[in-house]
Amino acid sequence: MSQATLVSSYVNLELRRTLRDTGFVIFGIGTPVLMYLLFTNVGGGSESTREWAVTAMVGLAAYGALSAGLTSGTAVAEDKAAGWLRQLRITPLSPAQVVVGRALTGSLMVLPAIVVVLLTAMLAGGVSVEPYQWVVLTLLLWVGSLPFTMLGIANGYQLSPQTTNVTNIVTNLLLALVGGLWFPISEFPGWLAAVAEWTPGYRFGELGWATVDGNAPSLTGVAVLAAWLLLFGGYAAYAYRRSGRKA
Amino acid sequence: MVGFTGAVKEFGAVRAVDGLDLTIGTGERVALLGRNGAGKSTSIGLLLGLDEPTSGSVRLFGRAPADAVREGRVGAMLQDTKPVPRVTVKELVSFVAATYPRPLPVAETLELAGLADLAGRRADKLSGGQAQRVSFAVALAGDPDLLVLDEPTAALDVQARRAFWESMRSFTDRGKTVLFSSHYLEEADQNADRVVVIDRGRLIADGSSAEIKRAVGSSHVSFDLPDGSGGQAPAGLESLPGVLSVTVAEGRVRLRTSDSDATVDALPGVVRVRGLEVAPAGLEDAFLSLTDDADRPADPRYASFAPSPVQTPKAGA
Repeated sequence: MSQATLVSSYVNLELRRTLRDTGFVIFGIGTPVLMYLLFTNVGGGSESTREWAVTAMVGLAAYGALSAGLTSGTAVAEDKAAGWLRQLRITPLSPAQVVVGRALTGSLMVLPAIVVVLLTAMLAGGVSVEPYQWVVLTLLLWVGSLPFTMLGIANGYQLSPQTTNVTNIVTNLLLALVGGLWFPISEFPGWLAAVAEWTPGYRFGELGWATVDGNAPSLTGVAVLAAWLLLFGGYAAYAYRRSGRKA
Repeated sequence: MVGFTGAVKEFGAVRAVDGLDLTIGTGERVALLGRNGAGKSTSIGLLLGLDEPTSGSVRLFGRAPADAVREGRVGAMLQDTKPVPRVTVKELVSFVAATYPRPLPVAETLELAGLADLAGRRADKLSGGQAQRVSFAVALAGDPDLLVLDEPTAALDVQARRAFWESMRSFTDRGKTVLFSSHYLEEADQNADRVVVIDRGRLIADGSSAEIKRAVGSSHVSFDLPDGSGGQAPAGLESLPGVLSVTVAEGRVRLRTSDSDATVDALPGVVRVRGLEVAPAGLEDAFLSLTDDADRPADPRYASFAPSPVQTPKAGA
């Protein structure tokens, strides 16, 4: 069996397992949608409202993606505790295939969160952008979420289920808040805005905000995000190797 | 096909495996016996490439264990694994089978493991015995040349244990090599051609169960505890000819001896004997005698290994 088929049969299995985790699916998709409806219906009614509906749509779609990416780590930690990761190690699947399969699964589970927020904004929020912008926005947010998926998975390999859960929740809140996914960094004090520009959360949101403004993503932004991807990817590979050692 | 050469595995200051030398050939059915903490699971972890030896070498099919695993030549059932959440039995077995180059047909695996009726059930919603069968099916699924089972019947009742060994035999009758660990001595006696006893991470006996019993050659002499002894064994028994150990239980004094005739002849000099019985040793006695040294808490390096009594299956448990 070819390498690619092996990985895809692993992804297939993990996807089924994830989709049966109804709590994960409902909260993962529901939370950013609820927040979007809340954020765009409190106050407003003026010219700035339309602009805010678009900004919040991007911010919360990014937040949903970030959070779905991180959450896949919780399932990894559970699998480690149940011995499933050790069981995988004694199948012919290589460690690289397992990590890639896991990352792909986590990555695919990010898509629904993005799509549902965008649909809500379109249908309930009256947001309209060019057709190509919808497509580019979805793709960029999807690809751009990879660093967070890697971070979540790495935490899952490295930490116990409880610690993974808490770590991912705290990381999620910090990255979303400091990254300006909930409230724009233009409202931040100067020093915090300066910090935000180095965070993956902000640069991730920026991919989307540039797209709805009709611009290409900034090179600096892509470079910062790529650096975080390398860092978190390295952490995931390191944590996976370590996770196998302890009996 | 399996070779440990001077394999050592240390966890901090503890040597879980301490210079293990062991070779297993094709088609052998080998039982790895030892008490809890003897180093069975650590040795199996080394064999499967889950862990690297601190020194010495472990080879599997003439190559590094992880490479042999990658080639699909090994199937294993690990200890302390919980069922995989949110998959059906059939999905799990089919997935594992698909990762091997020449797997068994899934239906055949399910049949062998006694899971044909449970194929559509979620693996995490089965009873303990059923879950154990799922682990067994996962080990079989790839039709491996070597099957490694770490305490496969640890959590099973007598009936489930019997069913398990029947399944295993129907698989190994196809000429497969099997290594299983156990602390149930009867299982080793009945299901292995060769018994390897390890203690404190070292090999202390290797042979057929008959050979091991013969080599140790001990028997039991027991008699009623004399009145007025306050539950204590009379003094001086330890130094009688042949005596290896003295225990008192349920109003009886039990001596394990390497020469029952000499022991019985010398007994009247120490104590008034009533209700004398002499019985030959079983594999369990052989095992106890082999691992006797471990009862003496001599070496602080082993302090974290609390040796537990050897268990034998309880009838009707």
